[in-house]
Amino acid sequence: MNFKDLQKELKAIKGVSNLSLIRQNVIKIDLEKSVSKAFFTQLKEDFYFEHCSLITAVDNQPDFELVYHLSCLSGELTVDDTRMSAMIEVHIHLKRDSPSIDSVSDLWFGANWHEREAFDLMGIYFIGHPDLRRVLLPEGFAGHPLRKDYVYEIHEEEW
Amino acid sequence: MAEMWISMGPQHPMTHGLWTLKVKVDGETIVDADPELGYLHRSVEKMGERRKYFMNTTLTDRLCYASSTTWTHSYVLAVEELMEVEVPTRAQYIRTIMLELQRLASHLMWAGAYMPDLGHITGALYFWRDRELFLNLLELPSGSRLLYNYMRIGGVKRDLPDGFEQKTERILKLFEQRLDEYADLFENSKIFRMRTEDVGKFTGTQAMNMGITGPNLRGCGVKHDLRVEDTYEIYEEIDWDICTREAGPGYSDCFSRYMVRIDEMKESVRIIRDCFKKMPQGPTMSSRVPVRASGEAFRRTEDSRGEALMYLVGDGSDRPYRWKIKSPMFTTISACPHYLKGYKLADIPAIMGSIDICIGETDK
Repeated sequence: MNFKDLQKELKAIKGVSNLSLIRQNVIKIDLEKSVSKAFFTQLKEDFYFEHCSLITAVDNQPDFELVYHLSCLSGELTVDDTRMSAMIEVHIHLKRDSPSIDSVSDLWFGANWHEREAFDLMGIYFIGHPDLRRVLLPEGFAGHPLRKDYVYEIHEEEW
Repeated sequence: MAEMWISMGPQHPMTHGLWTLKVKVDGETIVDADPELGYLHRSVEKMGERRKYFMNTTLTDRLCYASSTTWTHSYVLAVEELMEVEVPTRAQYIRTIMLELQRLASHLMWAGAYMPDLGHITGALYFWRDRELFLNLLELPSGSRLLYNYMRIGGVKRDLPDGFEQKTERILKLFEQRLDEYADLFENSKIFRMRTEDVGKFTGTQAMNMGITGPNLRGCGVKHDLRVEDTYEIYEEIDWDICTREAGPGYSDCFSRYMVRIDEMKESVRIIRDCFKKMPQGPTMSSRVPVRASGEAFRRTEDSRGEALMYLVGDGSDRPYRWKIKSPMFTTISACPHYLKGYKLADIPAIMGSIDICIGETDK
């Protein structure tokens, strides 16, 4: 499939807005939270994005934003005549009082720990995740340190 | 027989860094695994939000102690994308040379660490002896042996010293002879092949889904290398090929992952030679490097261990608003239950060693 055809098809999908080309091989889109699961399934099944590179949570105060970087490694998506691998950057807006979204770890196993990390450090809840535990911080840690309103408290220990 | 959990780590010769691998065994056979991380978490992303853009290169150096320049380079590339900085051509050549020297040092470090895992202590000494040669080379322009801090936003710290090309050529020649010796010592050794062949198998399709990239993916025969497919610096002007190996149709085992790294070292030698041939004269630092940045940018690079991705958000100040590091090993370790299941407990060092773990970048 050609990268240009992909852009046309993406524009027609409901919930997708602000499609733009960041680099020759990278598309950036905004996506509505409600259609996320169906859209990601389509990306994987129909558009050859078989690798989840990264899931980033950004605290944009007041609201959160999730950024998905998905890529095609097998070369099924061709970018013009180059050997470049195609990539898509998906932005999803999340309200601060309900920071939750459908998990994609059943589509890409590689997303599993990225979601755990976003939960651990930013407090985003992934619905349907098989094992949503902290991954980097110890169990019992209070708060989510990458949030901008996180206050680091120094606990004076008694010696 | 009753199943039971065995905890390997955080202090265990298999782990190569601080992490725990809990394995569920039925007799000698692994039925499940649960990796645990966090022992080396230094919250680099959070620290980075408090430091200015150019100060963060000291943190990125410490992400991976075996391959520090590639990580700094990845960060610097993302910042340059964010600030729209043009890098002089000579600086790009120097960067490529440094990256490939670092890749050689990193792969040698891995090979040296892998051999004791298989009970071959001599291998460690041989590989680390050669790594020393490349550390000496990396020391010449940067002044340090492990954490170089050589890549700067807009270029490199300083130009290459006099005689660097001749010294490099001498070492590369020696190294090529040594690679032939290794072929006799390891590839043709029956014991080494018995430990590594048909162990730790996964297919290319599985690997892509599980987030396994880099040499581990190329060991499955997938022709994917970000140096070509998301090209940066001057890799597209250099004459070189992507190395792939297969254990069988579309899958890899420990041996094919070993071989793909050996091939990559040969390719790195080729890249370095070609760089010296084509390198122009000129400045090594951009004349205009802004301090503030806004917007968002990301770049991915081919680290020694796989796909490294840096995502940066700037809010117009001189510090990053959000800085996200993607480590290839983070997802590769997360998938370890998939490629450990069904093998024997004694195969764990062979399998986990073959994927080249670095906990510094994984725990961030």
